[in-house]
Amino acid sequence: MRIACARVADLPLAAEQRAHPELRGRPLAIAGGEGARAELISVSPEAQRAGVRVGTSVAHARSVCAVLAVRIVSPSLAQTARDALLDAAFACAPRAAPAPCSGGVFASEAAVYVDAEGTGALFRSEAGFATALVERIRRLGLPVDVAVASSRHVASIAARRLGVIDTFPCRDEAVGAAEAGRVLVLLPEQERDFLAPLPIDLLDPDDALAEALTRFGVHTVRDLLALPRRGLATRLGVGVLELLQRMHADRDETPLPELRDARLVEAIDLEAPVDRLEPLLFVLQGLLSRLLERLEARHLGCGDIALALDLEGGARDVRHIGLAAPSADLRVLVRIARHALESRRLEAPAAGVRIETRGRPLRRDQLDLFRPAGPAPGVLGEALAALQSLCGDARVGTPIAADSHHPDVFEVTPFASPGIPEPAEAAPFTGALVLRALRPPVPAQVRRYRQCPAWIRSAVANGRVVRCAGPWRTTGGWWSKEGRFAFDHFDVQSEDGVVIRLRYDHVGRVWQIDAVYD
Amino acid sequence: MSPSSPASARSRGGTRPARSDLVRLLRDLGSGIRRGLARDEAAESSPALATGLAAVDELLGGGFAPGSLSELTGPPSSGRTALALALLARTTAAGGVVAVVDGADAFHPLSATAAGVRLERVLWARPPAAPEAVRCCDRLLRVRGFAVVLLDTAGRETEWEALPDAVWQRLARAGAATRTALIVLSGRRVTGSLADLALALQPTRVRFRGTPSLFEGLEIEAAIVRRRRGPLRGPTALRLRAESAD
Repeated sequence: MRIACARVADLPLAAEQRAHPELRGRPLAIAGGEGARAELISVSPEAQRAGVRVGTSVAHARSVCAVLAVRIVSPSLAQTARDALLDAAFACAPRAAPAPCSGGVFASEAAVYVDAEGTGALFRSEAGFATALVERIRRLGLPVDVAVASSRHVASIAARRLGVIDTFPCRDEAVGAAEAGRVLVLLPEQERDFLAPLPIDLLDPDDALAEALTRFGVHTVRDLLALPRRGLATRLGVGVLELLQRMHADRDETPLPELRDARLVEAIDLEAPVDRLEPLLFVLQGLLSRLLERLEARHLGCGDIALALDLEGGARDVRHIGLAAPSADLRVLVRIARHALESRRLEAPAAGVRIETRGRPLRRDQLDLFRPAGPAPGVLGEALAALQSLCGDARVGTPIAADSHHPDVFEVTPFASPGIPEPAEAAPFTGALVLRALRPPVPAQVRRYRQCPAWIRSAVANGRVVRCAGPWRTTGGWWSKEGRFAFDHFDVQSEDGVVIRLRYDHVGRVWQIDAVYD
Repeated sequence: MSPSSPASARSRGGTRPARSDLVRLLRDLGSGIRRGLARDEAAESSPALATGLAAVDELLGGGFAPGSLSELTGPPSSGRTALALALLARTTAAGGVVAVVDGADAFHPLSATAAGVRLERVLWARPPAAPEAVRCCDRLLRVRGFAVVLLDTAGRETEWEALPDAVWQRLARAGAATRTALIVLSGRRVTGSLADLALALQPTRVRFRGTPSLFEGLEIEAAIVRRRRGPLRGPTALRLRAESAD
């Protein structure tokens, strides 16, 4: 089995730079908490060159480097960066899985295992596959090293090794430096030689074991493999057996899982709470932009979005943003998000923003040569999303009759272009008079004569009632206090020539005009 | 500006531009000059969109031209919506896809179904105001594949009359390019001289029958009040039946 390990060495730093690309190339440090005494947990190379070190306090670092940018570590950003790493992996291979979190000096790394078996046919070689993987992850804004080997552990160790060297001398043709990432391909017969001189620390032993191994004079993998197995666990603990197992590249590897969940999440913790629309939209634009990059890696469009705002005080404001069609247009999504934010005022400033969506395939289908060509699905999808951004939620789609006796109830479903036209039917009946709905119904003042309207005054029709037909009673929803209705409908021609549908609402005890014949 | 350009020729004494000037102008404009012809070309090369109402189709010479900007005007209860939905019913029954930009929020789905419109082939957009409705129309008219885009402005004519002519010009050109018929429904004319066709409807009689009475329908008159090419015709009588009369 061939497995690639894509490793981001410093996840907090990479996640921050992914969310704020303007911080790239600048001295940047990630603090573990708030305040001047907080400890730095991650430092960019630029800051290191200026003398800033991990473990120092924020105040000290600022005294060393005056232009240092300090950000507080964001678990949300780190998680979304991990997800993005996995998305990129699935863009290159059908099976992938995140690596378990490490400890010790590798606590800040993030890695993903990718099934590299048979990828040579698609990418010409395993090195080509690794380079494509690096390129794909780099497009999502993450610096990464990729190593291909026969097992998860060897690939992981090789990727870690790449993080501390520029090239590996034993295989010049297999090791290449890609932009913002290095690749290394280890053939099975070369793995033992590769591993032998590596320091034990790359295997990430726990502190007690590392101390014991040092005490025994075991510094490299070669030293470890040379130890006699008998009584080893008794002397050094069971952890050492696990380390030895990792060195066996030919052991059976459990298969990596396929992609099952198309759910994507992007989130950010704001350093200062935001309560105004424009700054919030600015933040959302960044989130949506990164979300679209990840969706693009999966060859999907953005489906409905759940927008969650973590408010100051612990409350959470959740809004559902329905999309008439999957879209990959950032401007359209931002406009729809603006509608969602404008629809209801925030109860408190937002301290965190989270968007979640389910990737949906952008519409593609085959049109028919002998039937009227409908709109091309891809173009239509973009147009639908744009229309929704102009009209608002639930105001674009296909109307359908609802399962109700209420005369005004209908539903709007997402418009789907009829891909395969149905056979021609008989010409429909035409010449029918239709109704124009009045939404909401227009209130009217009505005088009755013998239970029928005789005079009307409203914004639609006025004067004496010339002719009247009805009433027709419609009732329903009697089992519910909120949903019950009872109408008496009349077809009324008023003196000014308008023919209206007038109704008496028995629940509200009011006269209303709900439609005009036209 | 060169001394022989058409503008300079007019300024010299109002003389007509020379043929060579026009030829040069046409050459300079290149493919851009064809945009102006697109509407006529579109109208000529595609079959008309019939309403299924024999009297109206005869009046229109077969129906509404694809790629044209047409206007249906009339007061409330003049049958303008019925005529528009008749067009949608025929178009959707023939397998076409249509869009309704409901600037008046007056589309009645149940009534449209009763009129024969196949709702699964209707894209219904309800913009909140005229500028958004214009943008919706513009977006839809640029998507090739919609046979008809119906823009309902009835009851909000004041809002629409304030729009500059350039808006209609833009919409007309977009429709011509994709061969989508843009039908504007309004109480009075709002598109000005940019409409290819304007059909005015007027109620002549409201019919009730029986005791107790039952609303039977409307009798209306339709007349062409503007036509870019061809004679003005009408009025022609038409009868529309109410659903309750069946």
